[in-house]
Amino acid sequence: MSVYHDPSKADKPYTDPTPLPANIPKVQEIGATSAPLKSAAFFLGAYCKDYNEDFMLCKAESRDPGHCLKEGRRVTRCATELITKLRENCLKEFESHWACLENNNQEYYMCRKPERTLNKCVFEKLGLTKTIPGSAAGKPQIHEVEKPIFKAVQK
Amino acid sequence: MPVPWEALIPFGLLTTMFAAAGTLFNTSQRLQNQGKPVRYGLDAWENMMMDRDKRLTGHLRGQRSDPIAPEEFATNSAWYTERTG
Repeated sequence: MSVYHDPSKADKPYTDPTPLPANIPKVQEIGATSAPLKSAAFFLGAYCKDYNEDFMLCKAESRDPGHCLKEGRRVTRCATELITKLRENCLKEFESHWACLENNNQEYYMCRKPERTLNKCVFEKLGLTKTIPGSAAGKPQIHEVEKPIFKAVQK
Repeated sequence: MPVPWEALIPFGLLTTMFAAAGTLFNTSQRLQNQGKPVRYGLDAWENMMMDRDKRLTGHLRGQRSDPIAPEEFATNSAWYTERTG
């Protein structure tokens, strides 16, 4: 029978009983939580496109966790780089957008105003645009539509 | 003919009680969610992300935007259990 000891209630710092082998390089995990990641999601797609695609193709070959460690490390490093750049250049717009998302069930359509300022800042400073893959070719993308049907109640 | 205002008291009571119960419920939900509206329509992905947020910040609704995770994040996953049998 097994007992679960909640790590957050331990009195000693926890040491990993089964660490990774020493020959696997270490990478620092991303410290951003869900709302900032959702805010930066399309910029992550634009900035880290190659590494993301490599990782997805590698995963498509085999779901074994040990198979795609290298590509996964590259994705993590690229994402960490982008979050650092976002915070350096567009901190205020970034923070206001993900704060708005947190107050609205993390729905994009409720937070178009902060999103527009963030997109403008990121385009000026970092040169990234938000494009939604799979959107219809001729029509404007949903975040650029002037009078959307699904929107926040107050302007 | 004077207006029978005593008959309207139950209506007033009903409205007040509905409003009070609703406000109390909303306040208690917000207090549990760090002052933010409650998350709804959560699927497995969202629950997984909220659990990750709890591992990073200590609360299901806690948010931080630092690029690097704290050191505890490497080992505070629920995968680590102890076998006593």
